[in-house]
Amino acid sequence: MIHPVQNIVIVGGGTAGWLTAGVIAARHQGRIQAGTFSVTLIESPNVPIIGVGEGTWPTLRTTLEKMGVSETELFRHCDAAFKQGARFAGWTTGEKDDGYYHPLMLPQGFTQVNLVPHWLENEQGRSFCDAVTPQGALCDDGLAPKAITTPEYQAVANYAYHLDAGKFAPFIQKHCTMKLGVRHVLADVQSVNRAENGDIKSLTTEQAGEIAGDLFVDCTGFRSLLLGQAMGVGFKACNDVLFCDTAMAMQVPYESADAAMASHTISTAHSAGWTWDIGLPTRRGIGYVYSSRHITDEKAEEELRRYIGPQAKGLTPRKIPIRSGHRETFWKNNCVAVGLASGFLEPLESSAIVLVELSAKLIAEQMPANREVMDIVASRFNDVNHYRWGRIIDFLKLHYVLTKRPEKFWQDNTDPATVPDRLKNLLHLWKFQPPWFFDEFDRIEEVFPAASYQYVLYGMGFRTEVIAGDNNGTRSAAASYLNENIAMTRKLRTQLPKNRDLVKKIHQYGLQPI
Amino acid sequence: MAKVELLNNHTHRAVKVQPGAAARYGDNQRFVAVIAGEFPHLAAHYPILLTKDQDTGAFFIGAMLGFDENENLFLDESGMQTYRPLNLQRGAFFTAGNEVAIDLDNPRIDDGGKPLFTDEGEPTQYLQSIMALFRDLKPGLEMTRVFVETLVRSKLIEPIDIDLAFDDGTKRQLTGLYTINQDVLRALPDANVVDLFRRGYLQLIYLMIASLKQVPALARRKNDALLKATSLLNT
Repeated sequence: MIHPVQNIVIVGGGTAGWLTAGVIAARHQGRIQAGTFSVTLIESPNVPIIGVGEGTWPTLRTTLEKMGVSETELFRHCDAAFKQGARFAGWTTGEKDDGYYHPLMLPQGFTQVNLVPHWLENEQGRSFCDAVTPQGALCDDGLAPKAITTPEYQAVANYAYHLDAGKFAPFIQKHCTMKLGVRHVLADVQSVNRAENGDIKSLTTEQAGEIAGDLFVDCTGFRSLLLGQAMGVGFKACNDVLFCDTAMAMQVPYESADAAMASHTISTAHSAGWTWDIGLPTRRGIGYVYSSRHITDEKAEEELRRYIGPQAKGLTPRKIPIRSGHRETFWKNNCVAVGLASGFLEPLESSAIVLVELSAKLIAEQMPANREVMDIVASRFNDVNHYRWGRIIDFLKLHYVLTKRPEKFWQDNTDPATVPDRLKNLLHLWKFQPPWFFDEFDRIEEVFPAASYQYVLYGMGFRTEVIAGDNNGTRSAAASYLNENIAMTRKLRTQLPKNRDLVKKIHQYGLQPI
Repeated sequence: MAKVELLNNHTHRAVKVQPGAAARYGDNQRFVAVIAGEFPHLAAHYPILLTKDQDTGAFFIGAMLGFDENENLFLDESGMQTYRPLNLQRGAFFTAGNEVAIDLDNPRIDDGGKPLFTDEGEPTQYLQSIMALFRDLKPGLEMTRVFVETLVRSKLIEPIDIDLAFDDGTKRQLTGLYTINQDVLRALPDANVVDLFRRGYLQLIYLMIASLKQVPALARRKNDALLKATSLLNT
């Protein structure tokens, strides 16, 4: 007998739960309207939600557009602002002028020619970022990545969002329940009932009785109620690679209501970790991510307050433990974990929400038609996720290994014993050839493409040897892209509005759908 | 700088205004905002298209009179021989609430122009025609705004790219213009079609579609002007 998969039960009402519900419900809207498919989200009325990070990836634009969410409403209801990438200050030497951008735009002509060796051959005192994309200059000027006449979700310069995660989950919830037909059940899960084959048969809840389903999605956060606790899937820590285990966060008011608002995340290195600084329209979200083995909480708070300055007066930081790592398996039997339930890494590259989106999309697109083929889908899902978590860990570590900072935290980070083998090999290889398409970062849904590695490597002073004569074949193509970048940078700097001004206008007039 | 004052027959008794169309009076506009009531007049001469307000991003409808900045291809030494949109006709005048206001810095304010008031302080026929114009224009703007909102909400708008190559070798690429999406229009459910018809919108939509035929006509006008300019240079 074939067991069709028709009823999806998601547990957990945070960002992961509602985004997953929305992505699945939007993809299977036809069947939901025909009454042959259902998405139910069970949310405890008693568990507080952890707002995961406030930085996102440009993928969120596509995800929300596919769900039918209005971008104007996102800005109005989630305290959203534009994010064009991140600036890493003080990561290489800690000197005053030490900093580089990891922008969201690809280098000019990225699919046609690798500009790295051409830039290396003739740097002319320009940073790699400024030579190949206008976006660093746009961030320097505090400009928005589009204009009020640019339609919703379309970009002049590629962008993501900074947003208030505490407002984002309820916003998506409303869309899911009002527009996409997601059932919302407020209840506490008391027990997980298993079938003979080990599958989850149903959940017994305190307020809503027994809830059965064909596929269960664990979005219960760090607790991992279904996959971790009920299914017994272990946790693979990676604190041997990434040392930060604590975050101390503050919500800092602006000096005035119309103070400049950065359109990028500012990540600043400190003695035993780094601070994020995210500009929302109403406040700045600032937090120190550090290694408790290298600094005391008191000393960390002192460094955080020194970074913020007088605006920190009277504010109390919130301390959040970070457990870096992920589940050993992500999909077991008929249970799959998304979001914090599947794992967490320090928010250095805002990987939390993008991983939720990618997992939700994979589940929605690969939704097994019946229980009999589910294990095949699960095995593929696990392969992809192991790959993704591995690559993200590598990429985060890359930010640390090239440092020349003298503090113990930073020096410990450069210890080869703490660097994953794959990254070690690539760093060796990249001394003689720059990253591009042939570095395996060419999966369709790669979280960080080769361009991201280029920005970090050359931003941190890494240099690849250029073989004499090797550039001859592509020199004229490269020159035209480099010139195009100069022209585009000049044009966009005069055309684009200030970040805060555009957000204000979106609140007032809205963006047009086309 | 504009110096706008509410019009009254004391302060402005002696003010005279040039009513005619000329480039020096500001009729040299390539795109003029229009109201729905004008569509039948406009469609006979000009493309009726949508564009976005640069300041708010909001769509508005206008008549396209030229391709280049400050170019009205229908303007010659004796004025405009074709229908002159209300927004050009109103010239130096504005409305403020229910009253008429005037911009005293407008170049149309000229002693050689037409008087606004008689010696007895009564509005002249010219001023009466301006007041009548605003009786059409003011409610028309609101009605047109609602029409545009309906188009946007019904996804009936799509971008139109106009790429032209002229005989003098120059090219024009116009962006930021929108027209009716005819695929969406054809696929509208019956109930929506009836609703558009009852509100008088269906006719407006078809006038906008028909006016697209004016794009090549306007291009020919531009081509003639360019060739004339080139031959003048050569002689």
